[in-house]
Formats: sequence, C-alpha cells, structure tokens
Amino acid sequence: MTPENTANQNIIELKSLDKFREINRDFPRTKLLQEHKDSGGKIFGWLCTYIPEEIIHAAGILPIRIVGHSRETDLDEGTAYLYVNNCSFSRSCLQLGLQGEYDFLDGVAGGSTCDGARRLFDLWRNYIGTPFHHILTVPRKYTKKAHELYLYEVEQFTCHLEEFLGFKITDEALLASINIYNETRQLLMQLYEYRKRDNPPITGAETMDVLNASFRMPKEVFNDWLRELLEEIASSGIEHKHRARLMLVGSVLTNTEFIKSIEDQRGLVVTDELCTSTRYWTDPVVIDDRISLREAVARRYLNNFPCARMFPSDERFNRIMQFAQDYRVDGVISQIVRYCVPYCHDLPLLTRKLKAKGIPILALDVEYGTSGSGQIATRVQAFMEMLEARKK
Amino acid sequence: MTTSRDNNKIKSIVKACRLITRMVQAEPDHRKSQVLYYQMLSKYFTRLLNAHEQGDFVAAHTVFFPSELIYAMDLVPMHTETSTWMTALFTGECDDILSEGSNLGLASEICTPHRGLAGAYSLGVLPRPDVMLWSNMVCDNTAKSGELIMELCDCPGFFIDRPFKDSQREIEYLTGELEDMVHFLEQQSGKKMDWERLSEIVGRMDRQIELVRQINEMRKAVPTPFSAMGFLELVTIDYLFPGQPEAIEYLQTLLGELQEMVRQGKGAVPDERFRLMTLFIPPMYLMTSLEKMAREYGAVSVIEPFFTYWGEGRLDASRPLESVAKKSYLIPEMRMYGPMDDRALNSITDCARDYKIDGAVYYADVGCRHSCATIKLFKDTLNDIDIPVLTLDCDVVDQTATSEEEIKEKLEQFFELLEDR
Repeated sequence: MTPENTANQNIIELKSLDKFREINRDFPRTKLLQEHKDSGGKIFGWLCTYIPEEIIHAAGILPIRIVGHSRETDLDEGTAYLYVNNCSFSRSCLQLGLQGEYDFLDGVAGGSTCDGARRLFDLWRNYIGTPFHHILTVPRKYTKKAHELYLYEVEQFTCHLEEFLGFKITDEALLASINIYNETRQLLMQLYEYRKRDNPPITGAETMDVLNASFRMPKEVFNDWLRELLEEIASSGIEHKHRARLMLVGSVLTNTEFIKSIEDQRGLVVTDELCTSTRYWTDPVVIDDRISLREAVARRYLNNFPCARMFPSDERFNRIMQFAQDYRVDGVISQIVRYCVPYCHDLPLLTRKLKAKGIPILALDVEYGTSGSGQIATRVQAFMEMLEARKK
Repeated sequence: MTTSRDNNKIKSIVKACRLITRMVQAEPDHRKSQVLYYQMLSKYFTRLLNAHEQGDFVAAHTVFFPSELIYAMDLVPMHTETSTWMTALFTGECDDILSEGSNLGLASEICTPHRGLAGAYSLGVLPRPDVMLWSNMVCDNTAKSGELIMELCDCPGFFIDRPFKDSQREIEYLTGELEDMVHFLEQQSGKKMDWERLSEIVGRMDRQIELVRQINEMRKAVPTPFSAMGFLELVTIDYLFPGQPEAIEYLQTLLGELQEMVRQGKGAVPDERFRLMTLFIPPMYLMTSLEKMAREYGAVSVIEPFFTYWGEGRLDASRPLESVAKKSYLIPEMRMYGPMDDRALNSITDCARDYKIDGAVYYADVGCRHSCATIKLFKDTLNDIDIPVLTLDCDVVDQTATSEEEIKEKLEQFFELLEDR
C-alpha cells in the first residue's frame, strides 16, 4: 500500500478512540462488564435492534448486544448447531455462546425479526444456560394495529422481566433510561454531522469503532467518552481527503478492517445503513404527554430506521436515498452477509432505485467478520476506478 | 407482460397431470383417491391456465396464505411456490427459471422456489397475476418475495403480517389483517366477499382437518397402509384446496381405502421393515425413485410432524374470519415455524412413540435456512429416545444440488444401520 493510497495519510490519530477500541478488543470479557458483575449488577444480551433496550436498562440491568467474532474465523461449532445455510452472524454469536464467552449473561431477549435471529434465539434457549429468555413478536408493518400489537409485546416483555426480578419498573426509571439513550443518539448524530463535511475529520472505520462500543458497554460511560471524542474532533483540524464519498449499506457488520480495506483505497465511507450503525441508533424516543412512556418506547422501536424485514421496503429505500443525498455520496457499497435473505431480496429493488438516481452500487456477498481482503479488495478497487472515471 | 404460450409452465403441468391420471387409471390395483388427486391438480391448473381468457381474476399467493378467502370471493388462486414445485416435479426442468432469477440479481442463497418464481414471472412462463398476495407465514423468503413480483408483473399487492406467537391478542391482529385484505381484494377485483360461502368453506376446512387426523390414525397401523410418499398428496390438498368439496371427496375416498387395507392387514409396501418419520420435503424430482426405494427396502414414511400432524383445535364456521386466522396456528408446519419451545419438540417425540418410528429422515433443503437450523435440535430430541436421524443435503427443486446416486446411497446406508439395530 503506497501512502497516497490511504485515506489516513499524514493524519493525527484521534486519541479518544483508544478507549473504544480497547472495549471492542476485549469484548465480551471487558473490564467494565466484569466490574458491573462484581458489583452485583445484572447483564442481559439482546439479539436484534428491535429489542427495546430502555426497558431492560430501566430495570437496572445493563443491556449489551450479542455479537460474534469480529474477524474471520472457523465457525465449526456454530455451523454444527445452526447448519451451514444460516447466516454466519448467527452462527458466530451462537459459537461464542456455546464456548461460554457469554456465560455472565443473566438474560437474553430476542425478536421474531428474521429467520437467523429467531433460530439463534431458539438454539440459545435450548443449549445455553442463560437464566432468563424472552422473544417478542415484532410486526412487519407500521399501521396503527401493528403499533398496538408491538406495544402489547413490549408490555408483556416488561411484565416477564418484572416477574423475573421481583419488582416493578417505575416510570421514573424508564424516563431516566430514555434520556440516557436519547443522549447517545443525539451525540452520535453530532458525530455523523462531521461526516457531511467535504473532508470529514473521522473515517468510516473509526466511526465503526465508536459504534461497536456503543452496544457493548454502559451508555452512561459511553456518552462521556463520546463527548470527549467530539471535543477532540472539534479541535483536531483533521481532514480526510478521498477519491470518492461512499455509503455502506446492508446487513450486520462489526469488523472495522472491512471498512478500512475500502478506505485504504481512499474511498471514504461517509455514512452507512447497517444494523450496527444508523439502523441501531438514528431515531430518538419521542416523549409525548398523551401516551405512556412504554408506548413512546414501543413507537420508537417499530418506527426506527427500518430493517429489510419491514414492509413496505420503500420506507428503507427512501431513508437510504435521503442519506445518499445528505452525505453527498458518489457510490454505495452493499455488503450482505450470506444467507441474510431479507437484504438479498431487497437488493434488486434497491439497485434499480439507486441507478434511477444515477448512484452506482457495488454489491458484495460476504461472510460476517470478513476483513475485505482478496477478491473484495479487487472489486472495490474496480468500483473506485469507475467512480473516478465518472467524475472526469 | 403476457404469458409465453410456447414455454408455459402451467400448460406443461396440466399436460403431465392428465397423462399421469391416465397412467394411474391403467394400473389394475390403482388407488381411486390417487386418480382423484391428479384430476384435482389438472382442474386447478387448467382453471389457472384459462383464467384470463375467461375474464377471471387471478390472485397469486404464497404458501400457507389463507386462500379460503380467495375461493370465497370466486377468484382464481395461484399458489406460487407450488407452481415452482410442480414445474420441477412434472417437467423436471427448472434451469431456465432459476437462471433468470439469478439474472434479476437474486442471490443463490434465496431458496429455489422463490428464485425460480421470480425468474418464471420475468420470463413470462407463468400467468400474470392480477394481484400478488403474500405473508410472513413461514420464512423470510415468503415475507420478502412479493414486492419484486409486483414490480415484475406490474400488479398491486397485499402483504399479510402474521404474528409469530399464538396468543389471543396476536390472533386478533391477524384477523384484522385478513379484514384489510378482504377490502383490498374487493377494491381490486370488483367482487364482494361472500360471507356465507366463506362460512361453508371454513366448515369444510374443519372437516378436512378432521379427515387428515383420521387418516393419520390409520397410518399408525402396522403395516402402515399409506404409500411412502403419499403424504405429499395430503400437503398439496391442504395447499391448493382448503375447504373445497373435491378435497373432502378425495380425503373421504382415501380414508375409506386405508380403513379397508387396515381391516385386511395390508401394508403400503410388500414387506414393511422400517417405519420412518419425514422431517422436511423431499426433492420433487426424486419422487419416483424414492417411492421405488421404499418398496425395495420396505421403508415407508408413517408420519410427518410438520406436514400432516395438525395441532389441536377446531374451526368455527360461525366465525369464519377468526377461524381462518386461527387455522394459521393449527397448520402442522407452523409448529416448526413458530417458537421452537417444548410444545414443538414434544410433538416430535409424541409422534415417534405413537407411530412406532424406527428412524427419521431430514431432507435438509439447502435454501431453507430456518428449517435446517432445527436439524441439531430435532436430532438431539429424537436421539434422546433412541431414534436415529439421517440428514440428507438436497434442494427441493434444483437437481444440481445433490445427485440422485448420492441420496440413494445415503438412504441405503441408513437402512442398513436400521437393519443392524
């Protein structure tokens, strides 16, 4: 790699990122989680972005996201249990669970969101001895009836949790949790605003370092760290020059090396649409005096930046188009984990819509944890050259 | 988009059904129910083939979709996945539609019935539907298949959001979804729902479920009277003819035949040696070979917990819409597609004991990820009660996934293992 090919040439590293990277490196065996357990705290794992974290948090429990190995690795055990045709994300999560890496969890919450997620929940419940399990029905529509059903599901989940804990979750606690989570969303929005600049001060890979940590640690601490990072960025004067502004869309992604391999070719990822990025954090819980706090939470989760599972798909496509416009992207890279069927079905439709707007798309079929080397790097290189040729 | 008459898949299916009907009738000891079965298929697809010429309104729908409502409105149903399966079963050729599906940008991970379906619509070898109806009853493929078909066929569509669990609250939500769909169909077709007719259909559907339960009771007999792959007839009847008079006629005829065989102590195969549980759909293109092997080895499927073993409960004809919603939770397949809890797992062990199973065969359809994810669970559950399980990698439609020889060899080895036990 020649220096001119990198996005990060002559750039001062953001020191505040080190703490996030340490969390990501050690997860799930981090010092913060260990301290939480040592002090008598409970930790729950959640399997999908449609699980209302605020409810768990308001119960005094630390919610973390269950993720797999953020690197390329053999998934023998995960495959033996979930079979080879289930997505490598589910297999990777289950493998870590089977290997005891999540044995500190006191509970697991899943949703009927996609086949991979619900089967992961099924096998987790059957083979891993986590004390509490709950699966929520998550509607696929946004209708009034769908919202009523999802609220019912959130209430059922709350009752189950209260039974397990032996106490009620108060409105005061829920409001405090909503405020903490909304602050996270607002701080992440500030971070993303920087990415709209002509030469953003933060790369896509660095942003992913922050996002990965966001669901692996207490939000209260995360918010403090993110504020420090934002302050550092504000005074850093960093500018990342690039050959093209890119948007990354598709299924789950946690390996920052994948994004780095794109950015090493000076394609700067300026925004993204992944279930570990904007689909996780974008929309706040809107508190409204006319509805209960639980309803406000339920509304937020069903209306959030939609996953490909939701109907109609245009809700997702329209948001992608808006992001592409707001962040002035030159091209879109779709990374779909193999056997992530909802996104596979969306791809032909999304491709047509992007092409109609004159936005080129590179579709990559990947395994979860891939670093983006080899064939992927070659395809990205060709895509970058095509984008550059279009600019001339 | 018009249907290409030169390569019309439905035309090929009709032709094959008529030919098979004649072949079955020509056999001296043929099963009358089997003749009825192929006549019904022929009638179903002929109606579809001629629908547009006769000014009928075609409603395409995915698997497990409540087509009782389509029948009650006198529209022509088109079961999408079955159209792909039947293409594979009767023509043995799916390469063209699968490759067109890939050309559309559908990844190879999308199951062949759905990839082939999109390809078939794109090529114009299936009748263009007037509406596309689909749901999430089963898997992500069914939940996601509708929008592309709407675009390919330039037709409107309706998606039914079916909740995952079976609480009363969720059944009510599904009932509301069905109501909305009825309004949509009324607007699109210009026809009104005939509620009286729907009640009659629901009443017959209740009878239909009861008949399948009685047929299963006969299958408990040793030797079992129903043919090795006969259960696929029961599955197809449920898919294509819910609450239809011809379904009742077929099931009553079959029940009578099985009762007579049990009375005479006759088995479906000459020398029953292995009683099998089938855990997923076998490859369609291998049906003839699998039937032949069953006779040769005396191995017969006596129960399929996720295809023929209905959940407990009745349908109430006086509450037709609620009953149609409730039915979606009684369907045998829904035991696999809903929460995989003790209820679902116990049904497998109950079946194994009640039907005196020697072994189970899991046809691991490479495109069906959510069913394959249960293999380990089912294997462990059955192994706990000393029932061996054979897993066969295959594809329900695509012949290139696994060779016939490989499947036969593995089955032979499994039968040897059962023999040694």
